[in-house]
Amino acid sequence: MRLLLVEDHVPLADELLAGLKAQGYAVDWLADGRDAVYQGRSEPYDLIILDLGLPGLPGLEVLSQWRAAALATPVLILTARDSWAERIEGLKAGADDYLSKPFHPEELYLRIQALLRRSHGQANQPTLQAAGLHLDEGRQCVMRDGAEVQLTAAEFRLLRYFMLHPEQILSKSHLAEHLYDGETERDSNVLEVHVNHLRRKLGRSVIETRRGQGYRFGASPT
Amino acid sequence: MRSIQRRLSLGLISVMVIVGLVLAQTSLWLFEMGLQRYLESGLRNDSENLLVALVRGPGGVQLDEQRLSPAYQRPFSGHYFRIDFSDNHWRSRSLWDQELPQLPQAGLQGNLQLGPEGQQLLILRSDYKRFGQAISISVAQDYTPVRESFRLMRQVGLVLGMAALLLILLLQRVTVRRALRPLETAREQIAQLQQGQRSQLDTQVPVELEPLVAQINHLLAHTEDSLKRSRNALGNLGHALKTPLAVLLSVASSEQLKDQPQLAKLLREQLQQVQQRLNRELNRARLAGETLPGALFDCDSELPGLLATLNMIHGEHLDLSYHVRPGLQLPWDREDLLELLGNLLDNACKWADAEVRVSIDEAPHSFQLRVEDDGPGIPEAQRSQVFSRGTRLDEQTDGHGLGLGIVRDIVEVWGGTLQLHESEFGGLKVLIELPRRQG
Repeated sequence: MRLLLVEDHVPLADELLAGLKAQGYAVDWLADGRDAVYQGRSEPYDLIILDLGLPGLPGLEVLSQWRAAALATPVLILTARDSWAERIEGLKAGADDYLSKPFHPEELYLRIQALLRRSHGQANQPTLQAAGLHLDEGRQCVMRDGAEVQLTAAEFRLLRYFMLHPEQILSKSHLAEHLYDGETERDSNVLEVHVNHLRRKLGRSVIETRRGQGYRFGASPT
Repeated sequence: MRSIQRRLSLGLISVMVIVGLVLAQTSLWLFEMGLQRYLESGLRNDSENLLVALVRGPGGVQLDEQRLSPAYQRPFSGHYFRIDFSDNHWRSRSLWDQELPQLPQAGLQGNLQLGPEGQQLLILRSDYKRFGQAISISVAQDYTPVRESFRLMRQVGLVLGMAALLLILLLQRVTVRRALRPLETAREQIAQLQQGQRSQLDTQVPVELEPLVAQINHLLAHTEDSLKRSRNALGNLGHALKTPLAVLLSVASSEQLKDQPQLAKLLREQLQQVQQRLNRELNRARLAGETLPGALFDCDSELPGLLATLNMIHGEHLDLSYHVRPGLQLPWDREDLLELLGNLLDNACKWADAEVRVSIDEAPHSFQLRVEDDGPGIPEAQRSQVFSRGTRLDEQTDGHGLGLGIVRDIVEVWGGTLQLHESEFGGLKVLIELPRRQG
């Protein structure tokens, strides 16, 4: 899952970056509203966390421009302005969720989780469920037939992406774009390795290889 | 303060009555004087005729009956005379058995009562010398018909005067009302202002009212502007304080403090307190309260947005609905009301299983706001504690107490009441009654 964080307060951004990376998200960070308008539209983010008090361009204006350009990425607004009038304005500008500062980091993680599931048509349950697997995002482990399987951070990130896109053909470049932030070098061999690790832990049939097209998760179980 | 209209009417009535009475009385008096003078010349003529009728006869001085007016012969005809000589006096036949008194000196006198018929006489006494002796002739004329006609005239005058007064009062009312119409318009507009139906007074007013209207409009604009500015400043302050707080909260629950659980707990608790206090005070400071008379909350345009926002925050599984008469407008500041309803609904959504309903009803003197949910509700014994200061009951769910605190603040500022009941859905029903502002 690749997120864009738009926040001009550097210490908070640092904290959030560290926390979100620990949650297995690839995060790009921007501090200026004008940059955000451009980058939000050009990169394939899965979710955007947007502060409203931004230099350059106000957050609500950034959001309106994204929505005007038909950008459908879910946006979570992060703001100290928490009056109901402002929340309604945020929603009208096209926000999908609203979190007011200050907040507990856990609250933010839960909101992101819920928002991602919602945007992929998944019910908001304690675990993420797909193809008979239950992924516990908090503990970063997966339950299969009642047995708990431990995952590395990279495997967790990959599996979560697969589970949010079940039965879809995902190319390697698509996966790389959504699993790594803009600064990480993308090596498709690494992806192959992680896919193999997942197959070893969860069974070969979990991820199907479509030659020349990519991978497909949760195809008809064998 | 009495109305200008009534003051003007009272002043006008008193002036009109005083002037009218003085004028009427004076003109009556002058008229009577003139009439008496006219009658006096007639009487003098009569007395001179009598003098001529005195002739020297065989038995001394005698009255030539031929020359006397027949009115002196008929009893109580209204014309009388008395002739005084030095030793005796003659009376006219018309006096019958009555005595016409002699005036102490020559001249005219009115208001003399005479006879059984109560005639009012006007008497003229003239002194002459004839045949070598002093003769005093008094001639009298019945004055009653003149008096009667005077009284009639006075009555007619009184009635006419009253009618004129009424007419003038009526005309004055109309004139004053016309003249005061701009004031009345301004008064109505201020009432509308208070009910939130307009935000400025009309500037098309007479010159006399211009400074007043301009000043009121200026104050309104100023209040609105300063409210906006202070809200903006509070927003900035909140932003400046809450972002670092968010950093601190994040640090307090980060890995770096894992080895120091007590320190982390202390930090978290203290930060929580700072946060709650900050939110509460900032929210209170944002309230417009009663300062802005032009405020208006349009239910049809605001409620759907609010409910959609709540659905977004609490999830689509909640069925949020509102029951409000179409076109209903509440005369309070939009942001304040959104804050009130937002917090109440937010709280209801936190506890509700599936359904939350808000309804607003109008009563002649108040508005009733009801927010109901189908959650577990609050046991009756604990309801009174929820809104009392310093209670912890409502702080179990995150942000819960804070929201209801601001609700209580808003209701207090507006002079309303807040009650908790059991909803027919099974959950809690918050009933708020807000008195209408007097226009």
